[in-house]
Amino acid sequence: MNKLIAFSTIALTLTVTTACTNKSVIRYGDATAVETTDINFASTDLQKVASQMTDSLLVSPVVGTLTANTRPVIFVEGIKNKTSEHIDTESITDSISTKLLRSGKFRFVDMGRVTAAREQIQFQQTGGMVDTNKAVQFGQQIGAQYMLYGNLASIVKSNKDQSDVYYKFTMRLMDLQSGLVEWADETEIRKTKQKEFVSW
Amino acid sequence: MMKTFYAYLASLFVALTLSGCTSSHFSDLFSSYHQQMQKVKHAQQQGHYVQALSLLPEKYDFDTNYNLHLLEKGRLSYLSKEYLVSEKDFEQAYQLIQKENNKAKYQLSKGVENAQAIISNDNATRYDVPAYEQSMLHSYQSLNYLNQHNLSAALVEVRRANLVQENALKNNKNELYQYQQQLQQQGVTQQHWANSFPSMDNAIGNIKNGFQNAFTFYLSALLYEAAGQSNDAYIDYKKALEITPENQFIQQDVWRLANQLQMSNDVALMKARFSPTPLLRQKAISEKTGQIVVIFERGIVNNKTEFSLNLPIYTSHHDMRFYSVAIPTYQNVLTHYSPAAVSFKEQRYLAQELVRIQSLAAKQLKDDMPIIVARQIARLITKEEIRQQLSRKNGDVGNILASLYNIATEHADTRSWSTLPDSISISQLSVPTGKQTIAIHINGVTKEVPVLVKANRKTLITMTAIGHNTDYQIINL
Repeated sequence: MNKLIAFSTIALTLTVTTACTNKSVIRYGDATAVETTDINFASTDLQKVASQMTDSLLVSPVVGTLTANTRPVIFVEGIKNKTSEHIDTESITDSISTKLLRSGKFRFVDMGRVTAAREQIQFQQTGGMVDTNKAVQFGQQIGAQYMLYGNLASIVKSNKDQSDVYYKFTMRLMDLQSGLVEWADETEIRKTKQKEFVSW
Repeated sequence: MMKTFYAYLASLFVALTLSGCTSSHFSDLFSSYHQQMQKVKHAQQQGHYVQALSLLPEKYDFDTNYNLHLLEKGRLSYLSKEYLVSEKDFEQAYQLIQKENNKAKYQLSKGVENAQAIISNDNATRYDVPAYEQSMLHSYQSLNYLNQHNLSAALVEVRRANLVQENALKNNKNELYQYQQQLQQQGVTQQHWANSFPSMDNAIGNIKNGFQNAFTFYLSALLYEAAGQSNDAYIDYKKALEITPENQFIQQDVWRLANQLQMSNDVALMKARFSPTPLLRQKAISEKTGQIVVIFERGIVNNKTEFSLNLPIYTSHHDMRFYSVAIPTYQNVLTHYSPAAVSFKEQRYLAQELVRIQSLAAKQLKDDMPIIVARQIARLITKEEIRQQLSRKNGDVGNILASLYNIATEHADTRSWSTLPDSISISQLSVPTGKQTIAIHINGVTKEVPVLVKANRKTLITMTAIGHNTDYQIINL
C-alpha cells in the first residue's frame, strides 16, 4: 500500500516537473541545415536529391553537346511518388527546374500553367480591352524538345529497436523527337532511426 | 482506520487527474466503451450519420482512447460524405499510431498507466490500435483521397496498409508465445481458461489470423491497375486470392493479369487449381467495354461485450480460490445477409464476400486473450490484497468499501473501432462504354444507378448498406 502511494507520488512529481518547465521559443534557422526531426522524407532529402540531379545533368557530356549551340526546351512531366509517404514531388521538380534554368543552359515550358496562359491569350484576343495589333497570338509558342521525368521509390523496414528507410530517386531526360533517353541518373538515401531505450 | 482507504482513493484520483485532467478520463474507468458508444451506434444504424457524429463522447488528445475517437469520427465523417474532414481525422489517427510506434522501447509513462490499470481496469491504458483496424484506416483514407480525385495519394495509403499487414505478420508469433509463458508462470494453463471462456469460433469462422484483410489488397490492386502498374496489381490480386480463394471475381482478375503479363507458370498452376470454365468464359477486355466494380459494405461490426469469467488463482497463502473477472468478448454469431447483386441487361452478378471484419475482430480478440487474462490476474491479486488490508484495518466498513470499489472498477476493456462495417463483398462486370444504367439489388431493394463507363477503365461504386439505408458513391478510376 505504502509502496503504491510512494510510486504514485514519484510519478506525479515527474509529470508536474516535465509539464511546467516547457516554454515555446521561435527563432530563424538555416534553410539548408541538416534536418533530422524524424525519419520521414525531409527538406534535407529534397535538397540533396535536387542538387545531385542538377549537377549530374549539367556535367553529363551528352548534355554538354546538346547545349553546345542551343538552349534546348524541356518540359517537366513530373515525378511519380511510389513511396508510402505523402511527398510533394512537384516541389522536387520545381527545385530541379529552377536550378537548371539558373544555369542558363536550358529553357522550360510550364505545362501546369497552360490553361491560365490560354485564358490570358483568349482575353487579349477577344476581351476587347487589348489592342489587337499588340495582342499575343495563338499558335506562336515553342514546343518542348525534351521531357524530364522520374520516380521516387522507398523501402521501409522497422522493428522494436530501429526503423530504416531507403529512398531511390531516378530521373531521365527523353528526346521527344527520337524517343531516346539521353540522360538518366539515380540517387539513393538511407536513413536509420535507432529508437530510444527508455523515455517518458 | 479509514485513512489507508482514503489515501488509496486520493492517490488514484490525483494520478488520474494529472495524467488525464478531465472527467472523461474518469468516466472511461467506470463505464465501458460499449456503453458510451450505444447511442452513436443506434444513430448510425438508423442512417443518421451526422447525428451519430454529434453523439460521439468528447475526447481530448490526452485521453487514453483519443486515437480510437479519431477513428470513429473519421468513419462517420466518411459515411456522411465529408471526405476532407474524414481525411484530417484519419491522418491525425495515423500520426498518433506512428508516434506510438516510434517511441522508446521502455516508456515510463506506460508504467504509470499500467499502475493505474492495476488498481482500476484496462481502460486506463492507451488504446493499442490492432493491425486490422490500421489497415481499414488506410483503406478508408485511400477512398477519401479517391473521392477527392487524388490517385497518387490514394496509392500512398494502400502502400501503408500493406506495410501494416507485413509488420503484423512478422510480429504475430513472438508476442503470442511470450504471453502464454507469462500465464503459465502465474499457474494458469491454457486449458484452464480456454474451457471457461466463451467460444467465439462461430464469429471467427475459418480465418487464419486477425490481420490479413483481402479488401485492402483488392483495393490496392484496383488502384495499381488504374495507375497502369499491372505487375503491382497482379501481386496484390494474388494476395487477396490467397486470403479468399473462393472469390471468383478475384480468380478472374488474377487469371486475366496472369495472361496479360505472361506469367506462364502461374497460368499453368491456375488451370490446374481452378476449373477453367468460368475463367475462360470471361470475355477479353476490348476497347469498347469498361469494367464496373461494386464494393458492398454491409452492417456494422458488433461491440465487444463483457463476460465474467471464473478463474482459479493461487493466493499468497498457496490456496486455490476461484475469482470472477470481467473480460471482453464478442457475440458468437455472424449476421446473415441476403445476397446482394448487380444486374445489367438481364445478366445478374451475385456479390461475393471479401472480408468479414467481425471475424477479424473476434480472431484478434482471441489472440489477445492470454495478454488480457494475464493482466486481469495481476489486477485481481492487487485488488484482493488491498481489500484484505482494508478489512484487517477497518473491519467491515473497509471491507465493504473496498469491495464496492472493486466491483465498480471491474470493467472489461471493450474498446474497439465499432463503426466499421461488418462485411465487405464485391461484384464486378464488363459493360459497353458510354452512359449505362445498372441495377443494384441489396436488402430487397433495387436501385437504378447511372454510370459513365470509359473504355478499358474501371468505375468503382462503393455501396453502403446499414440497416434499411443504402447509399452509394461513384468513382471513375
